[in-house]
Amino acid sequence: MSAVRSNAVAIESQNVDLIFGPGAGVFDLSYSLPEGSILGMIGPSGCGKTTTVRLALGLYAPQKGQLRVLGKQPTSFTPEDREQIGYIPQQFVLYPNLTVAENASFVASLYGLSGRTQRKRLNELLAFVELYEARNRLGSQLSGGMQRRLMLAGALMHDPALLFADEPTAGIDPVLRGRFWDYFRQLRDEGRTLFITTQVVSEAVYCDRVAVMRRGRLLAVDTPENLKRKAMGGEIIQMVLEDPNRVREAVSILSRYEPVKAVRTLSDQPGYLQVTVDDAGEWMPEVLNVLEDPDGPAITVSSAGELPVSYDDVFIRIMQQEDANEQYQSA
Amino acid sequence: MSSTNPPERSVQTASPVKRPRFALTRWLIRVRAYLMKELYELRRQPLLILSLVGGPLLVLLLFGTTFRNSNPVLRTVLITPPGGVPGISIDQIRALAGTNFQIVGVSEDLDSAQAQLDSGEIDVIQVFPDDVMGMVQRGESPQISFLSNAINPVTEGWIQYLAYAQVNEINKAFLQQQTETAQQEASGIKLRLVDTRVQILELEQQTTPEKQREAQEDLRTLRADLERLESQLPRQETSILAKIDFADLRRRIDITKENIDLIDRSISDGTLDQHLNKVRDTNQELARIEELLNLFIELPPDRVVAPVRQTYSNLRGQAYQAVIYYTPGVLALLVQHTAITLGALALIRERLLGAFEVFRVAPVSITQLLLGKYIAYTLFVALMTALMVGGLYLMGVPFLGDMLQLALLCFLLTLASLGIGFLISAVSSSDSQAIQLAMITLLLSIFFSGFFISLDSFALPAQIISTIIPMSHGVSGLQNLMLRGISPSYLAWVALGILTLISFVAVVLITRRQLAKA
Repeated sequence: MSAVRSNAVAIESQNVDLIFGPGAGVFDLSYSLPEGSILGMIGPSGCGKTTTVRLALGLYAPQKGQLRVLGKQPTSFTPEDREQIGYIPQQFVLYPNLTVAENASFVASLYGLSGRTQRKRLNELLAFVELYEARNRLGSQLSGGMQRRLMLAGALMHDPALLFADEPTAGIDPVLRGRFWDYFRQLRDEGRTLFITTQVVSEAVYCDRVAVMRRGRLLAVDTPENLKRKAMGGEIIQMVLEDPNRVREAVSILSRYEPVKAVRTLSDQPGYLQVTVDDAGEWMPEVLNVLEDPDGPAITVSSAGELPVSYDDVFIRIMQQEDANEQYQSA
Repeated sequence: MSSTNPPERSVQTASPVKRPRFALTRWLIRVRAYLMKELYELRRQPLLILSLVGGPLLVLLLFGTTFRNSNPVLRTVLITPPGGVPGISIDQIRALAGTNFQIVGVSEDLDSAQAQLDSGEIDVIQVFPDDVMGMVQRGESPQISFLSNAINPVTEGWIQYLAYAQVNEINKAFLQQQTETAQQEASGIKLRLVDTRVQILELEQQTTPEKQREAQEDLRTLRADLERLESQLPRQETSILAKIDFADLRRRIDITKENIDLIDRSISDGTLDQHLNKVRDTNQELARIEELLNLFIELPPDRVVAPVRQTYSNLRGQAYQAVIYYTPGVLALLVQHTAITLGALALIRERLLGAFEVFRVAPVSITQLLLGKYIAYTLFVALMTALMVGGLYLMGVPFLGDMLQLALLCFLLTLASLGIGFLISAVSSSDSQAIQLAMITLLLSIFFSGFFISLDSFALPAQIISTIIPMSHGVSGLQNLMLRGISPSYLAWVALGILTLISFVAVVLITRRQLAKA
């Protein structure tokens, strides 16, 4: 695997279209994936994640736009280019009548690795994915999780610089899913670039960049934190006032305070406020000072903290915003 | 993986990869990947191998060891007239009919025999006419009726052929008997003819009226004898081969009868003096007839009946037993069937598994994929063939030809068959469809490869089909090599080579298109 170049981009996609039919395909895909990072592509089933991966692998040719992977057009990959790429497809495509070791060696041989290199890497990689003890077990005798790990080991045998994994955590339990992300982050830490698709929204937290996809379009591409901020309009400070009767007064004061982007009350929770700011950690003391200033309003806040926002909420919010946009545009 | 302790997990997932320097080395490693994968998979499927090789081998072994000949056994009841056939004993009839038919009964009850025929207890009824000998003697053609209710066209053909052969034999027996009778008759006539000639000599010398009347009586007897003999003489067409001109004999008999009539009349009306020249002519004719009769009497009757005889000798000593004769065909069938079945499943399973997608992403080509599979399956079929050839050799099956040519022929047969198998795999959309097509190919091969039925038995379209079946060339080539000790025909080498090439190109094109869609 070649060393990570500073500011180098593994994948650069600009306005890429691949249309299979009315409403089917991917449209106007623009994203980039820096080398040595993980891009998580999140979206519901059938939204175009696999098509995006297949475009980047050169299995499909874009109908419009520019797509470069490792500095080349994927459809023009040479065998040497392909040796830099690893791929874990959605389904288990290794052989049930071959052992774990034979399956991994088969994939390694496809990438031109000699027997000696294979043996050394095989032991290390099987240890890495915790399949060493099962190395002589047939593919047909593996559990779903073991099959996925074997696929990962196979895809890493030739030490690819860029790894594509199409829903590698689909259908496996949360513990194993967490372990998979450990593997991926370790691979990232070693300098590899990973493009991972998933339907599990909460996995966005493990990625360096997250692309949210719906109906063949990328709705957002950013770091998980930025994505959260963008979706929610910033970070949210939640607080409860000691005197619920002073909520209106507090809202009025905070709305006039410049760093505050929005203030929200909940009718079923008297004295409860949600205050949106750019950075909750940075602005929380200031917000509290404005309310509790003894020379000012002197509103006592009984409790305050950053509102934990799940990526499910972020995802839903992004979807809702997209729906609203579409309705606005159609209106 | 000799070590049993797993390596420690470290920050570095695994050691850096050192790739082979030369592109060709990497190319060959990729071919080897498919080769080894296929061999591992085959090794793990002993039941598949057993059913692939053992199944057809057992069936054909059973056929080879139990097959006797292709002539059907025809159970026959003879229907004779009440009281039997005049002039022929039942034993004689049994002997004549039993050569080709298995006589299970002799009866006079046709209805009962027909009931047996209807129920399938017997296959043929032979009905003899009332008076065979009498009809023959009267110049009529008696008919022996053969009745059957065969549904198998081959069996019906055999019945018709065997009936024809039997009637030929009966005709020969009649002719021989007739000739023997004629020869006996001729012997008697010859003696009388000598006496008559003495009397004719006396007539020439102006004998007494008493002597003339005696001679007249003898001449009349001789005339009747000659007439009877004339009717019993063999047919004219046998005369050339029997070195006797029966037409000349008949002509002389006719002249002599006319002369005798004239002499008879001249004796009666006392004008013999005026016809003495006829008397001399008659004497000369009788002398010639006597010579011809001598030739006829000395002739063996069977030479008259069947002047042409056949001899047969097999220059190799004798033909092989059926089990030996069919062995090269069985070998060709097993090689082809195994290769086609392996090939037929090879690509479709990869396609259904989704492996084509992985192959497209990896730096491998369709040529490497196919080469790897070709080599793996060829090695497997070669091993299987070597084991079978060894087994057959130990069992005493002859291998008269060059073993190198045999190996090369089996190699080409395997490649051509694999090509057909891969082609089946490439066009099939499921495992079961591929197996079905492989079985259809097997059936097609059994019927149209010359394995059981000679290719000459088929019309041109089927003969063309046979040329695109690898086994056709395998059967003829292996028969030549193993049983005759000669090289396979030029056509066999060329056809197998072309089939290998065309099928490979077709598979590459089709699979490349499928890979592009994967």
